[in-house]
Amino acid sequence: MHHIMLDQFAAGKTAVHRLDPAGKTVATLAVILGTVLVGRDHFLPLVPLAVALAAYHAAGRTPLPYTLKRLLVVSPFALAVVVLFPILEPGRPVWTFGLGPWTVNVTEEGLVRAGHLAAKFLLSAWATLLLLATTRFQDVLQGLARLRVPRAFVVQLAFLYRYLWILMDEVMRMRQARAARDGGLGPWRVRFQSGVGVLGVLFLRTYDRAERIYWAMAARGFDGRLHAPIQSRMQGKDWLFVAGAVALGCAAVGLDRALYG
Amino acid sequence: MAEPVLELVDVRYRYPTGPEALRGLTLSVAPGERVGLVGPNGAGKSTLLLALAGFVPAEGLIRVAGHTLTRGTARDVRRHLGLVFQDADDQLFMPRVIDDIAFGPVTMGLALEEVQVRVHEALHAVDLEGYETRAPYHLSVGEKRRAALATVLAMRPQILALDEPSANLDPRGRRRLIQLLAGLSSTLLVVGHDLDLILEVCQRTVVIDAGRVAADGPSAEILGNRELLESHGLELPLGLAARM
Repeated sequence: MHHIMLDQFAAGKTAVHRLDPAGKTVATLAVILGTVLVGRDHFLPLVPLAVALAAYHAAGRTPLPYTLKRLLVVSPFALAVVVLFPILEPGRPVWTFGLGPWTVNVTEEGLVRAGHLAAKFLLSAWATLLLLATTRFQDVLQGLARLRVPRAFVVQLAFLYRYLWILMDEVMRMRQARAARDGGLGPWRVRFQSGVGVLGVLFLRTYDRAERIYWAMAARGFDGRLHAPIQSRMQGKDWLFVAGAVALGCAAVGLDRALYG
Repeated sequence: MAEPVLELVDVRYRYPTGPEALRGLTLSVAPGERVGLVGPNGAGKSTLLLALAGFVPAEGLIRVAGHTLTRGTARDVRRHLGLVFQDADDQLFMPRVIDDIAFGPVTMGLALEEVQVRVHEALHAVDLEGYETRAPYHLSVGEKRRAALATVLAMRPQILALDEPSANLDPRGRRRLIQLLAGLSSTLLVVGHDLDLILEVCQRTVVIDAGRVAADGPSAEILGNRELLESHGLELPLGLAARM
């Protein structure tokens, strides 16, 4: 089975691909922080951030469908919150409808709040996606390690990335084996029970695999650190890039304070 | 006779939840020797490999490349013993092939230049040049198997121990593996049921059954003995059966 990898376009050769991964990670965090710190319902300060991300998007030659598809994939998490704002936020009703015994008011303030939240979410997700679209995942991990992110966290991420697809394949094979025998039919109680069985077996297999992987690592001298042979170093252009991103984040917050007090 | 590179005397191990897997196994392997370890399922072959690297705490004497295995020396022993596991996905745990092959040399504390030399040497040996930045997940079974072998070759171990190296390989992949193994100069332990592969690669075969050595001798002799093989749940290799 081949799954689409998160970083399928990360092997590109553009200028932004060549930037240091640690620098790009810090820059991404700066942009996200700037986005988050813009006051609520204030749209204008988000514009420079969006323009900068669009420029980075273009510079990295990231295909638009790639970004849009992945934004769609992650959006349900935010969508669940965003759809509730228009009806929960008190304010001037713009649309009223009945839902069974209740009367639901969609308010103007609620719509603005929902729009603002959606915009902030999209900008943050876009920044993260662009980091992954222009940096190989292992380089991001190396960058995180160099930024002194706790080792356990980095190692955990590395293994998640390496084995997630293998686990998904394993689940798929077990589900196929089940479907081959029950035809995807049968009483839901039996199906639920067998589903629980699949989960149990998956847990045991994962546990066994973890032990075998540990053996394979220990057999090659694992000492708790995941070394990688090639270490990149921050150069002038990387510092400039980070400074630019931090300045951009600060500018968004500054603009917010200047415009709205 | 040269000092054995691998020496096992009365090695015993019982799994905490199960039967005794190794019951007084004694074996000696000379440097450069290629030994096939065969036997029925549950004979203790894979457990033996785990015991060699100190992953299961076996009783008895285990000496690898002059190092007697104890809890304190397990790391030294593993430097000299290149263990290749049956499932290559367990062996290839890094995001890229190159990182995986470099893993062993880097943890050995080698300088970056030396690591690079060894990585390229290992990639060349298994014919995977150009695969450096590929994700192990996207390799075929045969490529994964060869990459797994490269991860260990890069450490230049004195003994290579392979568990079922030809499992799930197609005939072409298997043929390539045989050629690759036949061309290696290190001491080789090959565990498996692919008796034809063992016949081609190993000059000596050891039959293991019920946790101890049941027969030991030249491969042509052991693997040509139908009675002996059948009494241990095995069959004549197809290559020999066709001639008889």
